[in-house]
Amino acid sequence: MNEPLIPALTPEDFTPVHQREDVHGLSRPSRSYWQDAWWRLRRNRRALASLWIVVGLLAFALIGPLLWRVDPARQDIDQISQAPGADRSAVIVAPYQPWSGQPTAAAPVQEGVLRLGDVPTSQAVRLVWDALPGASGYRVYRNDYPIDAGMAFGLPIIDVMASGGGHYEDRLNLRPGTYYYSLVVLNEFGEITDRYETRQVEVPRVITEDEVRQRGLVPEEQALALGDTVYLAFHPLGTDYLGRDVLARLMSGARVSLFIGIVAPFLYVLLGVIYGSTAGFIGGRLDQLMMRFADFVVALPFLLFMILFQVVFGLGPGQSGIIPMMVALVLLQWPATARLVRGQILQIRQEAYISASRLLGAKTWYLVLRHMIPNTLGVVLVTLTFAVPNAIFTEAFLSFIGMGVAPPTASWGSMSNEGLATMLTHPHELMFPALFISLTVLAFNLLGDGLRDALDVRMRSVE
Amino acid sequence: MSSPTGAEEGFNRSASRQLALYGVFAVLGFTLLMFGLNFAAGLTSTQVGGVAGAVDVENNEITAYIRQDPPQLNTTGAADAISGIVLGHIMEGLLRYDEHGDIAPGLAESWELDGNRAIFHIRDNARWSNGQPITAHDFEFAWKTTLDPATASQYAFILYAIKNAAAVNAGELPLSEAGIRALDDHTLEVVLEQPIAYFDKMVAFTTYFPINEAFFRSTNGRYAADADTMIYSGPFKLTSWVRGASLRLEKNPYYWDHDRIRLDAVNFAYITEDTNTLLNLFKDGRIVLADLTAEMLEGAMQQRWILDRFMDGSVFFIDFNHRPGRVTGNLNLRKAMQLAQDGNELVDRVIKLPGYLPAKSLFPVWLKGVERTFQEEYPPPVPEYNVALAREYLEKAKQELGLAEIPPLVMLADTSPVATISAQYYQQVFRKNLGLELVIDQQIFGQRLAKMEAGDFDIVLSGWGPDYNDPLTFGDYYASWNLNNRGRYLNPELDAQVRIGQSSLDPRERMDAFGRIQQILFDDAVFIGNYERGKLYATDPRVKGIIRRAIGAETDFTAAYIDADGR
Repeated sequence: MNEPLIPALTPEDFTPVHQREDVHGLSRPSRSYWQDAWWRLRRNRRALASLWIVVGLLAFALIGPLLWRVDPARQDIDQISQAPGADRSAVIVAPYQPWSGQPTAAAPVQEGVLRLGDVPTSQAVRLVWDALPGASGYRVYRNDYPIDAGMAFGLPIIDVMASGGGHYEDRLNLRPGTYYYSLVVLNEFGEITDRYETRQVEVPRVITEDEVRQRGLVPEEQALALGDTVYLAFHPLGTDYLGRDVLARLMSGARVSLFIGIVAPFLYVLLGVIYGSTAGFIGGRLDQLMMRFADFVVALPFLLFMILFQVVFGLGPGQSGIIPMMVALVLLQWPATARLVRGQILQIRQEAYISASRLLGAKTWYLVLRHMIPNTLGVVLVTLTFAVPNAIFTEAFLSFIGMGVAPPTASWGSMSNEGLATMLTHPHELMFPALFISLTVLAFNLLGDGLRDALDVRMRSVE
Repeated sequence: MSSPTGAEEGFNRSASRQLALYGVFAVLGFTLLMFGLNFAAGLTSTQVGGVAGAVDVENNEITAYIRQDPPQLNTTGAADAISGIVLGHIMEGLLRYDEHGDIAPGLAESWELDGNRAIFHIRDNARWSNGQPITAHDFEFAWKTTLDPATASQYAFILYAIKNAAAVNAGELPLSEAGIRALDDHTLEVVLEQPIAYFDKMVAFTTYFPINEAFFRSTNGRYAADADTMIYSGPFKLTSWVRGASLRLEKNPYYWDHDRIRLDAVNFAYITEDTNTLLNLFKDGRIVLADLTAEMLEGAMQQRWILDRFMDGSVFFIDFNHRPGRVTGNLNLRKAMQLAQDGNELVDRVIKLPGYLPAKSLFPVWLKGVERTFQEEYPPPVPEYNVALAREYLEKAKQELGLAEIPPLVMLADTSPVATISAQYYQQVFRKNLGLELVIDQQIFGQRLAKMEAGDFDIVLSGWGPDYNDPLTFGDYYASWNLNNRGRYLNPELDAQVRIGQSSLDPRERMDAFGRIQQILFDDAVFIGNYERGKLYATDPRVKGIIRRAIGAETDFTAAYIDADGR
């Protein structure tokens, strides 16, 4: 109690403490913020896998077309809606010749009313029939399934209004396989009766030499003879409804999707950062004003604006809607980032180290560049990674509803839209683009999750 | 990463247990919700009761769909296919098309065509749906109303065969000068501008249907605006018309031939063009028929549906813009494009629908000539697919036009699925075979017509459907005065042949003229034929007698009946 408030000081107390050498020795190497983040990201297996998927996708879009040199717009008429891994062999035959209707010498010998008039091929199936009593005409049906008691004959191919025997040449979309042809008798008014004949026909795939040469299926110097087997162009992921290579279209679609998915978020996040940091840093009434404007932009309906932009841009025929889509994305999606960054800046502004820096005479620019932006960068990067899948999905959605790319340009969304029509019979046309959309969106989301864990320590989820 | 202490570990375990429990609850809850909703949906639909099934055997009625809401049912202006379907059920004119597509007596029990004068004798038992007799005055009133310039009917021109009709419609002569006169209640006299061989066929068209004057006036200009403001001369009457949602037709007891009609009601319960929706409705047994697209065929065969086909009569083709200043005005360019494509490939490999036929001529296969079909009597010249020759023509065209390269051509098309794939197919074919670039301009149907009208295209995927069963309905398409000739093709030689087709009474002379038109169109490569549209549709096996045809109501249930035992 009686001790003096200020201890007695001696001159020795004012001599400098001698420098200790051992304090600079650290037990572990020092790591910067980014090194630390990278280390944490690498520990996160999901994020790392996603990162590799993203890298793979970029390679798929950028390097893929250099390796798989197939024009995504080229139509392979021989292989329409072909599933991956389907049989590609074709036998060489003579070019198609119009048919007189008389059975040819090569025609198989058959019993019955309905017979083959020639060897059936995927070029043409030629049918001849004898007159049936009481017939005013005939309707030819083709079915993929045997005819059962229900009298479902399949596709009505043609009506022939002639009472005598007749002939018909079927060339409609013939694929290799088994067909069941039926000949149904028509009465005088062209109505079907219950009299019918059927015949099962095996159709092999054929191709002419000219077509082989034209499509470059064999080396130029190779000689070809009738009856040889050649293999049609290879489509690893099959073809779509116009015979276009799905893999090539996925690659060119990836370019569109990733372009939109990366450039648009980059632009609008940049805009958001500038806007948000300005508002946050200046503060006060300007901040209020700017943030109310951001609220206003949030309230604008995206789809409506897309349509308006398309109108304003005066998109002509065949022009793709990529640029208006990008403008709409940039103009409408920035407020989320702006709000986030403003919040961060407001918070950082109050930090002690800012005041300290200010006291030490730091200029505004120095503060912004040295303290504010680096400290928000983590949040911004996370936002950016989450914005990418969002933009990709928006592009896919808009192309799906027909407001995106113009044919024949492919995008994953427009490919899904086209595949939807054949979903039940040729699921691969929908499955592949849908798979790519899902995979990309998932990969970017997981990567964003991992980045957030790594960069933003406060927002980390506890594991 | 800190190593968890014992307390943390315990917390983690209980947390994960809780989480798993939540998961189980969520799944169970969802399952229950699904069943609950399904049950609730079942309850409400049976309570409403209106959407039972496609075939209601008890009430002897069927349910079908219609592609769009009918634009208008007022016969003075209606001329589209959708209105035509509805009007074909609720109205009848002097003559009608029977189930085999032949002209049959309608409200007129007999008629005489004598030079430029036609007399129609109207039945004694012809009645409006309110019980009043249908008289010759009703026809006179209806036709004159259509011609009245104040009505501004877009389809008045179909009456121009009648004497002074064109002048009356233009306001140059009073209405009384039109050659239509009711001699008495049951006799209608029509004087024609000149003798016309096919006037009886025109009379079956919707614009020639009657309107009751007293009723028309009582509606104060709202005639045919809804189900209450119409009276009906046909086999059915419209009892409900919910715009954009549904129409209900019930049997008209006053119809003169009501014994012929075997259904008590037809519900057009769905108004949609979406083929997938229609397929699902058919699958669920909600509608008696559904048109199929190429992608649905495999599924339809698998389901063992009964499939049928019909030609809807229309021809589709690539129309060129012949206006001056367009490169497509060049004959050699058109010839090159004609030779560079194979119509069979489009139909057999791209459209893939069995109902479609390659269009070899502007005159479709079903048109009748003098004795046999027109195409049998006048075999159309068919361009041979020949890429080498096409390239020669292209070179000539480039020289004539003084162009090193043909600039990209704008191809106008509408948004239907077949137009979409056809456009993409042609884009690729012309690029591959001729090195021509096509820019596809897809517009909704109405917008496509507007752009055609404005001449804002180089080539267009266009089509034409028949108005009446005579080659002239196609033959005058390229006449210089026809406003539907939107490429503005102009050829006096062709015009002269059309005049013969219009005015001659000798069937042979007329068909010869159409044969020459066919040849001129080919020589001048005026258009490139794409396809004749056919439709493939699945029908409910319990409904028989559904008629689908090219001329008249496209889908016709007036002869349909329910055969409950039908498989």
